[in-house]
Amino acid sequence: MKRKLSTILVLSLVLVPLMMGGAVAKTLKIGSMSPLTGPYASDGTDIKNGVLTAIEVFEEQGGIPGYDKIELFAQDTACDPKQAVAAANKLINLEVAGVVGAYCSSSTIPSSEALSEEDIPMLTPASTHQDVTDRGLPYMFRLCGRDDDQAPAAAKFIKEALGAKTMFVVDDKTTYSQGLADGVVKAAKELGIQVLDHEHVNQGDKDFAAVLTKAKATNADVFYMSLQGYSPAALMTLQASRIGMKSQIVTQDAVFQPKYMEVAKDASEGVFLTYGYTDPNTPEYKAFEERYVPKYGAIAAYATYAYDAATVLLNAIKAAGSTDPAKIKAELMKMDVQGVAKQIKFNEKGDSGSAYIAFKVEGGKFVPYWDPEKGMLK
Amino acid sequence: MIQEFKKIWKPYLIGLLWLLGLLWPLLGIHPDGTLSFARTFTVWLYIATGISICAVIYLLNKSDALGPVTAPIGNARKALGAFGKTVPTWVWLLALLVVALIYPQVTNRYAQDVAVNVLIYICLGLGLNIVVGLAGMLDLGYIAFYGVGAYSYALLNTHFGISFWATLPIAALLACIAGCIIGYPTLRMRGDYLAIVTLGFGEIVRIILNNWMSVTNGPNGILGVKAPSIFWPSFAEGFSFELLYLKKLHYLYYIALGLAIITIISVRNLNYSRIGRAWESIREDETAAELMGVNTFLLKLLAYAMGALFAGLAGAFFCARMRFVSPESFTFLESAMVLSMVVLGGMGSIPGIMLGAAALIVLPEVFREFETYRMLAFGLAMIVMMLFRPAGLIPAKRVGTRSEEKEG
Amino acid sequence: MDYFIQQFINGITLGGLYALIALGYTMVYGVIQLINFAHGEFFAAGGYVGVIVLSYLTGLGLLETHPVLCLTASFALTMAYCAFLAVGVEKVAYKPLRKQSRLAALLSALGMSIFLSNGLMLTQGVYDKAYPSELFQGMIQVGGITISYLQIMILCMTGVLLVCLNTLVFKTKIGMAMRATAQDKIMSSLVSISSNRIISLTFAIGAGLAAAAGIMVGLYYGSVRYDMGFLPGIKAFAAAVLGGIGNITGAMLGGLIIGMVEVFGAGYISGEYKDVFAFIILIAVLYFKPTGIMGENIDDTRV
Repeated sequence: MKRKLSTILVLSLVLVPLMMGGAVAKTLKIGSMSPLTGPYASDGTDIKNGVLTAIEVFEEQGGIPGYDKIELFAQDTACDPKQAVAAANKLINLEVAGVVGAYCSSSTIPSSEALSEEDIPMLTPASTHQDVTDRGLPYMFRLCGRDDDQAPAAAKFIKEALGAKTMFVVDDKTTYSQGLADGVVKAAKELGIQVLDHEHVNQGDKDFAAVLTKAKATNADVFYMSLQGYSPAALMTLQASRIGMKSQIVTQDAVFQPKYMEVAKDASEGVFLTYGYTDPNTPEYKAFEERYVPKYGAIAAYATYAYDAATVLLNAIKAAGSTDPAKIKAELMKMDVQGVAKQIKFNEKGDSGSAYIAFKVEGGKFVPYWDPEKGMLK
Repeated sequence: MIQEFKKIWKPYLIGLLWLLGLLWPLLGIHPDGTLSFARTFTVWLYIATGISICAVIYLLNKSDALGPVTAPIGNARKALGAFGKTVPTWVWLLALLVVALIYPQVTNRYAQDVAVNVLIYICLGLGLNIVVGLAGMLDLGYIAFYGVGAYSYALLNTHFGISFWATLPIAALLACIAGCIIGYPTLRMRGDYLAIVTLGFGEIVRIILNNWMSVTNGPNGILGVKAPSIFWPSFAEGFSFELLYLKKLHYLYYIALGLAIITIISVRNLNYSRIGRAWESIREDETAAELMGVNTFLLKLLAYAMGALFAGLAGAFFCARMRFVSPESFTFLESAMVLSMVVLGGMGSIPGIMLGAAALIVLPEVFREFETYRMLAFGLAMIVMMLFRPAGLIPAKRVGTRSEEKEG
Repeated sequence: MDYFIQQFINGITLGGLYALIALGYTMVYGVIQLINFAHGEFFAAGGYVGVIVLSYLTGLGLLETHPVLCLTASFALTMAYCAFLAVGVEKVAYKPLRKQSRLAALLSALGMSIFLSNGLMLTQGVYDKAYPSELFQGMIQVGGITISYLQIMILCMTGVLLVCLNTLVFKTKIGMAMRATAQDKIMSSLVSISSNRIISLTFAIGAGLAAAAGIMVGLYYGSVRYDMGFLPGIKAFAAAVLGGIGNITGAMLGGLIIGMVEVFGAGYISGEYKDVFAFIILIAVLYFKPTGIMGENIDDTRV
């Protein structure tokens, strides 16, 4: 008897959600996909907060005629391809007009396949891997830069601004970090920088003593670390300074998160990183800062891109006057606006271009330092 | 009711105070050197109210005070059960099959997606059941075989263009071989030693998949895997067959259903065959089984191979369905998940494992509404289910203790 | 040579931390034959409570004036907190399942692990929490070898805790009761040892050690994170089994070996395969000695 009861309970748990669905009138639904649990929950939360801020601002500015309300369905991908596809299908069922996400390239790629079957526009604020837009999906857009743009910029910076002759490269074996590290190694070799070694660590590692001791022994001019997220980067920076490594540390855009300095403290001073050029003096950025910081804390790498992604999506829907994907796409392609993070104009692939510059950590802040075109910025 | 209450109020109150004590340092001590109590107390009050409501319902139920409410339901269930017994089993199975067949016609995409996941995990759970439930060997690295199956299809398809159907037996065979390779060195080990070695093998397979760039493309995974295809008669220009890719979710659902049915039938037959009984004898007492002439070495290896076979099939299908495969899908947590399905459903019980797989896949989806609280609720649900049904949702009929339980 | 010694020091530091966590696994296993998957979460909770207490003391300004006192206090409070946490977890999630199949308790432990790590995430936020950095900065340079004060502190602390534990288990009445319970619950209850109390005590001690490891990891690596318990938990479990699960000396040895293999594997061969080396050593040892290095023979070959 008790057994049957639990059987029925489980069955009803199985069946009830399967029967759910259906639409509520007069609400514009948009979706977001990012890891809200698991190791990348912090970056995923930044993305969700960015989108929420965008909706808030957009509604205050009048919203979209014909809709009372814009509702966000934030889905957790946990950076797991299977869950990402489930989340995408859930959003398809909810009949969202567009999706902002996902974070990990390995989640974005399979879930965009599912979304594209139903012609739902997807705008990723964080997946930098080439294949995200190179597969030729018509409704895939990207707000952040591409790995194959960042790598040459980083190599050029190391060669020209730092005058380095040798470098030691480390990555943590994710689609993003390894792809970028490989690109940097290739570009550096072309520029005549000697790559002494290319080491790997694993995701989730905390102890980098062995690899850092190895790097210290090579005495390279530059220690390039390509890690997924600020957290391992902060740990590695701190440990490098503890063992007294003298190489100049250069890193990449995933580290652009104020928490990095909070954890690595003094060790982070003087670290260089490449990041898409964001002008903190534009009125757009200032307005975003005023709204975001009191509510969610310091602005991190992906919050601005997520905000821009949601804003351009909502503006396109407004201009199109409907949620018809073809019309939204047409409006998106027409767009040429100044966002919070950068100037947004999509090319035929769905990329919005990238202008990577080098930042330096100075006094606990990211300060623009060098531009591939203009050279030193000070 | 009152008596029950008298029995538990003391530990109950201590438990709640204990919880408050555990919560406060996490919520009430601030880095600026101040202490606060309000937030802790609010959170605690919510939790305490929730627990109290559950406890009251539990107590009422135990003392039959809920009789007026539960009695009709119980009676109806009894009547239904009696009616169920009069109908032969095959009718129920047929009904279940019909429901499964028309399911994609009446449900939406998301529901189909979840159902496909459930079916994949039914294959995995039943495969693992051979190793854990029948042969009594604790395997924490089972997902490695699933990975072998998935990568077999991805590589064979992208490099040689071999179709899904042709790859299925190859993937199963490769997974079998992997099962033997991993099984062989572990045959001398028992219980938890076996558990950690299988866990180690599982991690090794994942790390190799993640690092062997030239073959597996490392963390980038393999893109551009083709969906399963069939030859479909076409009458456009005379009669011919054309190659049709089954990309739509409901086609994939039927393939998954087919695989799951094959798995269920094979595992059931294995279970009741001489081999199944030999496995159970090994589980109960290995020395005695050997004495009775059971070739324990071969049979344990066979258990690994058979378990791996179904994981290989499921893996190939998983890859075909995602049309993409990357090492992130084969972490230790996935192994633990499949093991949970087997234990939660009831070791050795086929309907139990099916229910367990459904529960563990659907629960996180139900909890999707909770966003960040999703996994918290899931962990809690796992504990609660285990506490209330420690032998599984539908325990197997023939149960004995597993051999290693007697030691210790 | 400098390089070798440097890596050796790295290895021994990491190994010491693994050993501390592995002890909790092995003690719990010794008494109730349960692989406590939630043990890694006790370690993470220790790291968090440590940072909470230390930041609070910093906020009060006490850390600058009385650093030693503050550190002692935070160690004591954190270990006590985790001991209480572990006893609570044991009473809720494991005790009702003690008479059931061991896999039921294993699953409950897994659920507890997911629950606790997500609980930490929800109460403490998804971002890393930084430790106050003023403690133990600086290092000693001997030739080309660098040893930071933190490494020395970790080694000393680990050594002290291990000696304390050994004394407790092998020299005191309580330790004797623990060993008796581990060997035979029914017999020990006949000589009026309360097995419930001993099991709770074992959980408390194991979690206390994990909590100490948690603070040291926080100080050493500079920050803590809600999911930090998972990976070290698995490594420590491997260490405990390698040494022979249920054996305290074995767990220490196992922890050191796993730490060393990882560091030397990463330092001399390849960083990305370091976990593979650790597991291969584990598998090789268990292949030739199926009950671990120091494990007694639990095979049914015993008569």
